[in-house]
Amino acid sequence: MEQILLFAVLGLGQGALIAGIALGVVVTYRGSGIINLSTGAVAMASAYAFWSLTTGFFGFTLPVGPAAAGALVVALAVGVLTEVAVFRPLRTSSPLAKLAGSLGVLLTMQAGVLLIFGTQPQQAPSILPADTITFLGLTIPSDRFVLTGLVAAIALALGAVYRWSRFGLATRAASENEQAALLAGLSPNGVSLANTLLAALVAGLLGVLAAPIVQVDSITLPLQVVPALAAALFAGFTSLGVACTAGVLIGVSQSILYYLSTQSWFPTDNGNAMPGLQQLLVFALMVVALYVRGAGLPRRGEAVEQRLPAVPLPDRLLRPALVAAAVAVVALIVLPFDFRQALTNSMIGMVIVLSYVVITGYVGQISVMQLALSGTAGFVLSHLAVRWGVPFPFSALGAVLVATLLGVAAGVSALRVRGVSLAVVTLAAALAVEQALFNNTSFGGTAGVTVPPPTLFGIDLGPKADFRGLDGNEPSPLFGFLVLAVTVALGLYVAHLRRTGLGRQMLAVRSNERAAAAAGIDVRAVKITAFAISSFIASAAGTLYGYNFGSVSAARFTALAALGLIGFAYIGGITRVSGALAAGLMSTGALLPHALEKWFGIKGTWALLFGGVSLVVTLIANPDGIAGAAHRRKTAKKAKSPEVFRGFTPVEVKEVTS
Amino acid sequence: MSVLSVQSVSVSYGGVHALSDVSLEVRAGQLVGLIGPNGAGKTTFVDAVTGLVPARGRVELDGRDLTGRPPHTRARRGLARTFQSSELFDDLTVSENLLVTADRPSWWTALGETLGRRTPANPAVAEALAVLGLQDLADASAHELSQGQRKLVGVARALAARPLVICLDEPAAGLDTAESAELGRRLRAVADAGTALLLIDHDMSLVMGICDHVVVLEFGRVIASGPPARVRTDPAVIAAYLGASATTGTPETP
Repeated sequence: MEQILLFAVLGLGQGALIAGIALGVVVTYRGSGIINLSTGAVAMASAYAFWSLTTGFFGFTLPVGPAAAGALVVALAVGVLTEVAVFRPLRTSSPLAKLAGSLGVLLTMQAGVLLIFGTQPQQAPSILPADTITFLGLTIPSDRFVLTGLVAAIALALGAVYRWSRFGLATRAASENEQAALLAGLSPNGVSLANTLLAALVAGLLGVLAAPIVQVDSITLPLQVVPALAAALFAGFTSLGVACTAGVLIGVSQSILYYLSTQSWFPTDNGNAMPGLQQLLVFALMVVALYVRGAGLPRRGEAVEQRLPAVPLPDRLLRPALVAAAVAVVALIVLPFDFRQALTNSMIGMVIVLSYVVITGYVGQISVMQLALSGTAGFVLSHLAVRWGVPFPFSALGAVLVATLLGVAAGVSALRVRGVSLAVVTLAAALAVEQALFNNTSFGGTAGVTVPPPTLFGIDLGPKADFRGLDGNEPSPLFGFLVLAVTVALGLYVAHLRRTGLGRQMLAVRSNERAAAAAGIDVRAVKITAFAISSFIASAAGTLYGYNFGSVSAARFTALAALGLIGFAYIGGITRVSGALAAGLMSTGALLPHALEKWFGIKGTWALLFGGVSLVVTLIANPDGIAGAAHRRKTAKKAKSPEVFRGFTPVEVKEVTS
Repeated sequence: MSVLSVQSVSVSYGGVHALSDVSLEVRAGQLVGLIGPNGAGKTTFVDAVTGLVPARGRVELDGRDLTGRPPHTRARRGLARTFQSSELFDDLTVSENLLVTADRPSWWTALGETLGRRTPANPAVAEALAVLGLQDLADASAHELSQGQRKLVGVARALAARPLVICLDEPAAGLDTAESAELGRRLRAVADAGTALLLIDHDMSLVMGICDHVVVLEFGRVIASGPPARVRTDPAVIAAYLGASATTGTPETP
């Protein structure tokens, strides 16, 4: 019992950090209606700044006080930059675009930290007193209480500011009804900037103070935003008190859960502590929060109508598909081995992004879980093939079936949840699957599990097949052809889907669920079908991944990798198959990053930085993505030269008269 | 025989009774008008009938009970509606908007379409476009239409389902007088061809000019019902629209 209490108190440190980030999330949401995924990254930036200033990383060492001040300046600078360069230009965009914008900030900051400080986790010195107090016979470091008290005081102070100051009134007015606040002479830009700065200050401060308790790194710290989002969901993205309390309690229960998992009666993973319990807890809490508080976030009366990227009818499918396939066939034979590998990676990346074209592009729902489904399919494939000896293609089909069913089950349980809430809860789900399932050695494990090559009628179709390219190296073009066939088939299917009745129903649901229901569309059935199709595609990509590397490991299917892929999907053009192609070429290990590294020596981290920045630029300047811009240029050219006009009037340039 | 029969429908939001015991019948080929001051519960009534808000009472379509059915089932049984704010599917073209209601692909046709089989053009789409004179807009994108055009496309979308009943929620709002009269003429023709229409509108001359029967709502209750000529002179209606003093003949003091 005393042990439980001890762990509960120790958990206050983590809890204070979560509470501080949750306060940042709520403050930003109240100020600008943005669910800022990069709030945890602000804590990371200031923690790194504090660490580097106190440890002589830049060649000089500051005392703790000035270093902390410097770290807060860094947090504020990040806040200003985020507000001016990202949030302000996205003011009138859809909530999903705003969320993706904050994702761009998260990816950029993560890449920045990796480039400056490297991957090694660091230990920062403590500002808080290092003494201990004795409480109920337990010796407890006092900094835990100081931190918790500090976060509570911040929450109270913020609450007082919102309650009684003119600025607080303006914020409340703007979050109730932006349009009316605008008409009343309040500047939403000013309100938003002030709140973003407040949020950055709170998150940055907690980053500095909690840094000695949690380690300073570029993955765990930014991902603390996920438990913080759970706390914010309990608070309905409004109540500071609830967000703070829930954040602290989440940290405490994670710590207690950790203690329990070390007990002899607790189930173990082959003798080791069960992985991912913390993440499972956060996911479960989010589900509870959505159930208790309802699936909707508080609506804001935004000043401008928001539109999602357009989904034009494709006019020709077969010819471009055949041309692309022919180019790929030749490339798979003549290219040197490393580029063949990069091309195969690109195609698999494209297939995963195709699953986002269906669920996000056509139906308007962001599900971060899709990459976790790919991983599930990969691991199941390994088990089917290795443990039960199921031959290809039945092993692959079985794996796809299992993962698709999981995706449909997730979709059915998330039917009430839509838009931004869905993105948040599926992010927690992806993290839970990654930590609890993929890292569990009975299912996956960080070391990875092997996947035997696909063989059909005795012919090896895998990357080690006898038929080699011109340079005689692995991977075999045969495997490339297999991947190409799957990619072309799925690409054609997704493009064709836009022309079918089902595709129209999906877009109708995306536009307006009420009107769709009144038009006779079974909105739930359409969403479940979309989840099924998207999960099927993602699972197919997962089996291809497995064959591609001959093994499956958790590292490829992390929640952060999923966020990165969504970013690439947006940059390419999330509503189009051609956008998925562009995104596939940019994804990890694909042709573009490989060529950049090989020819210009640009490392993958730079690509991540480039990806984060171009995601923001895309959202602001060109929401339809690369593919959308290409489409616009093409239709504009067609309109100018009537001789290539082929019957379908490009609506963008048509004079509409009634 | 009524095609649409609504019996004692009530809707409450918390303690507020938005609709109390409203009953209404629409026969095939009949054009029934539903009027009332702002906030009388007209749109709530359509939402209740089409299943978009939970309601007590009974809704029958062509003798079949629709009570408790979800909105899409009611729509598929032949109950179409338009929205006050003409909620078109902005990502689709005009003809695709109509196709969504005209074609209700079964699993079988959906599978066929997936395998590349072309579904034949649905004549209901061209027909509905022609009825409202929208042929030229067939390939336009819904989000680039003017407000008046959006209203008409909304009506065409309801028509394309070839429904038994259409509930029209202020289809003439945003149209000018001439356009409104033209829309009225076309709606009359739709009704005369056998579809039952329930028309909600603020344009008195439109409602009184084309409807066979008019129902008047005030504060969620029916205060008058009958042929236009009788409703026009009903003292309760005049009071609701012009203020209580109108019945006594003394002008209201501001």
